[in-house]
Amino acid sequence: MSDPTTGLPGTPLPDPTESFQVPWDDDAEDLYQQAPCGYLSTLPDGTIVKVNQTFLNWTGFERSALVGRQRLRDLLTAGGRIYHETHYAPLLRMQDEVHEVAFDVVRADGRRLPTLVNSVLSRDAEGRPRVIRTTIFDATERRGYERELLVARRAAEASERRVSALQGIVAELAAAPTEAGVAAAVVRAPGTVFGAADSRIWLVDADRELLVAAGAGVDGGGEEISLARAEGLAEVARVGQVRVIVPSADARLRFPELADTVIRDDDRTVLLIPLTAVTGSHTGETVLGVLAFGLTDRPPLEDQPRPGGEPAGQPGFTGGELDVARLLGHQAGQALHRARLYDDARRREARATFLAETTRVLDETLRLAPRARLLVSRLVPDIAGWAAVQLLVGPSGLYVEDGSPAPDPRGLADRVAAVVAAGGGTSLTDDGPDADVAVLALAVRGRVLGTLALRLRPGGRTALAEAVFLSELADRAGLALENARLYEQERAIAQTLQRSLLAGDLPADPRFAVETHYQPGTADLEVGGDWYDAFLVAGDKLAVVIGDVVGRGIDAAATMGQLRSAIRALAAAEAGPARLLERLDLFVDRVETARMATVAYGEITLSTSELTYACAGHPPPLVHEPGQSPRYLWGGRSAPLGSRAGRAARDEHRTTLAPGSRLLLYTDGLIERRDRSLDDGFAVLAEQFAARRGAPLPGLAAELATDLVGPEHRDDVCLLCVAMGTEDTLERQIGADPLHIALLRKDLRGWLVSHSVDEQIRQAVLLACSEAVTNSIEHGYRGDPYGVVTLTARVSGDGIEVRVNDRGIWRPADVATVRGRGLRLIRELMDEVTIEHDAGTTVVMRRGWRARPEVESTALGDGDGGR
Amino acid sequence: MTAAGGGGVQGNQEWVTFGQVDGAELVRLVGEIDLANAAELGREIAARTRSARAVLVDLSTVSFLDSAGVRLLDELVGELDERDTPIRFVVGGSGAVRMALRLCAFREELLTDDVATAANAVRG
Repeated sequence: MSDPTTGLPGTPLPDPTESFQVPWDDDAEDLYQQAPCGYLSTLPDGTIVKVNQTFLNWTGFERSALVGRQRLRDLLTAGGRIYHETHYAPLLRMQDEVHEVAFDVVRADGRRLPTLVNSVLSRDAEGRPRVIRTTIFDATERRGYERELLVARRAAEASERRVSALQGIVAELAAAPTEAGVAAAVVRAPGTVFGAADSRIWLVDADRELLVAAGAGVDGGGEEISLARAEGLAEVARVGQVRVIVPSADARLRFPELADTVIRDDDRTVLLIPLTAVTGSHTGETVLGVLAFGLTDRPPLEDQPRPGGEPAGQPGFTGGELDVARLLGHQAGQALHRARLYDDARRREARATFLAETTRVLDETLRLAPRARLLVSRLVPDIAGWAAVQLLVGPSGLYVEDGSPAPDPRGLADRVAAVVAAGGGTSLTDDGPDADVAVLALAVRGRVLGTLALRLRPGGRTALAEAVFLSELADRAGLALENARLYEQERAIAQTLQRSLLAGDLPADPRFAVETHYQPGTADLEVGGDWYDAFLVAGDKLAVVIGDVVGRGIDAAATMGQLRSAIRALAAAEAGPARLLERLDLFVDRVETARMATVAYGEITLSTSELTYACAGHPPPLVHEPGQSPRYLWGGRSAPLGSRAGRAARDEHRTTLAPGSRLLLYTDGLIERRDRSLDDGFAVLAEQFAARRGAPLPGLAAELATDLVGPEHRDDVCLLCVAMGTEDTLERQIGADPLHIALLRKDLRGWLVSHSVDEQIRQAVLLACSEAVTNSIEHGYRGDPYGVVTLTARVSGDGIEVRVNDRGIWRPADVATVRGRGLRLIRELMDEVTIEHDAGTTVVMRRGWRARPEVESTALGDGDGGR
Repeated sequence: MTAAGGGGVQGNQEWVTFGQVDGAELVRLVGEIDLANAAELGREIAARTRSARAVLVDLSTVSFLDSAGVRLLDELVGELDERDTPIRFVVGGSGAVRMALRLCAFREELLTDDVATAANAVRG
């Protein structure tokens, strides 16, 4: 706007047609020379005959250097010349004209000038080629554009290939249901999309703040990288931005976690792609993992064509590639997120199933310790590598553990104490060496029963991540263990009650001997209501009872106690068994839990050895008289106590027991076995009872129980055996231990009393036997605790004979010294002493019934006695 | 007579208690004495009677005494005799202990029927 007048309104503009006049001298020569294109006129053989100034300006040649000296083809590049020979020249001769042929003209300075060439061949009257007129256009701009188009097309094709590959990947990702499946698909993507050889994937473990290697070739326990790391993977995971690591000599040092996997060589360019998703857990995107891969032969950025509109790239990668990388990262992230949700759902389902199954399995066993063991075995190794249940029960508590490695005991004890002191709750982790050990309180109704400690499976989720599951597990386990504890408590009470009721004093009398045995059913069953009893009625009658209350547990034990007391109270000398059962029926009408109890009751008149008995639904007593086969007492039978369907009248039966008879009362547990009929049970019992006719009474009941039902049996077994009169022969074996001598003397004393041996002889036999046994232990076995000493005592019309046998060593020299001292005493005490050496040493001692004057004195030993 | 303290062997079962009667050490034995407990009893009695002026051993409630028990008493007499410390055994008129001691020919003057007689015998 230098002229202030031109823009003013009102000033008339000049008429354009009026002043339309060419301002230069438009002569033809100037037009030719300065035309906006080059002109060449050439002879049919190509020799340049005329050239315009424009062409000379473009090419930098002097006119004189071209005209008559050069052909068009001489100005072309090597490729142009070939094209000239094969296409241009033949076409021109055939068609007389050629249009828009692209030739690169080599300029005077050697640089190339891209041109487009049009040529027309004119002929003479005879049709012979006369002259070729050629126009040449500068195609620099146009060729650049074409090249750009080409590059763009190539880029588009590459991009299309990548997108297509990406679509394949996305389809694969969609088909992968689990996190592991997604990871495997993602790790294949760089190979397909970018042609990368090595690629790795790391997944973010947000709970533990770690990146964990995943995908093909990596098992559950992949390498772990802390998210707190400053550079490389951790940084990408934190920031969520694509990162390029350009080739450098120190790349492997700076990124050690990538050194052996994706960097490998110094000339690798590495791309780290965050796998992101909108998870909804917080605003923005969450990084769920990082994909890394390396590529070789990536040109630096500045050498790469940058077609218009392409986004900015980074060293080694074009913007388009980075876009695809970001897209891949996002698709993979979404797939991971979806898979995680799916995994979570599946895990929750599996956890719920596990909890339900655990509750069911724990219910299968009633007792506390087996239940605790079962719990631990459920957890290891599926849930935990190591687990321990610690319960505050009983004086020393209960501790069950399994798996490994066990945590530091002191640290664990502190944490357990803290949880218990807090009155419940959990300690999911710890800053000590056992951070992966969780301690959970087992509490029911606000009371801490104990703790469950577990080290979660390595490579699995942390206790923090499993907090909900662990808390529910602790709840269920606590309830199951508390129920078992209550069961255990009730069982203990019932057992105590039962034992206290069974432990009552049995009568000791030289006219009979009583042996009893109670064997509880297998461990997991509650106590039963079996009982036995024996007591004297009015001095001359021995009452023997065995019974079985319906049901188990504390109620049965209590009922058993009531019935036992009732029978003791109701038994009277004049009543008799049938009358007693009738009274018990009345009692049962008031004590409902005793209804249908079975009882075998007998009274033995000791002066006449007459047995009166009655069985209220109870198995028949078994009697074995000397010289006869055992027989069951099938008389006096009637229905169980308080039976409404059974016969109301009570019956009793009498039988006489020969001296030396044995009477066995028992509960049905002894003869009932699943693999044997009841008849067979009766037969086997009779057979076994007869086989033990000669065996001493002590231990007989226990042996019968072992032989008939074995140590492992479901039902309780109760036995009571009465031996009428006493054993003619006493046979005892003791271990070679001085502590056992007193027990042996006790049996021997009782046996002597039962045979009415007078006190003087009794004392003499006791001391003599004691000395003989002492000799066997002290000198025969010389302190060998595995030695066995056998004592056999027999009464006859003449007197008593006792044999003491050992398998130890006899030294004749002993007679004169230590062993001899006891022997001398024995000789003083007994009438006749012989020593047999036959498979050990047997001292045989006899003492007649006749009384003899009290011993005055004798020498104790050789030199040191006789003070 | 005052019963003071008491050692024992075999858990709660006390085989021996110690006391004083008129300045004499009274050793009261109970139950059965045999190979199993004689050595232990011997050590315990020796420890209590080492500096006694006189010793009374009450065996009236001993229900059994074997040769190991006799040897224990015999050794006790030997030690006390060397120190000129008087000793008496209180045994019943009959029974297992008197029989065993008679058989082993213990001097009659060592055996008395009751504690009072024994205390008199060792006085001053």
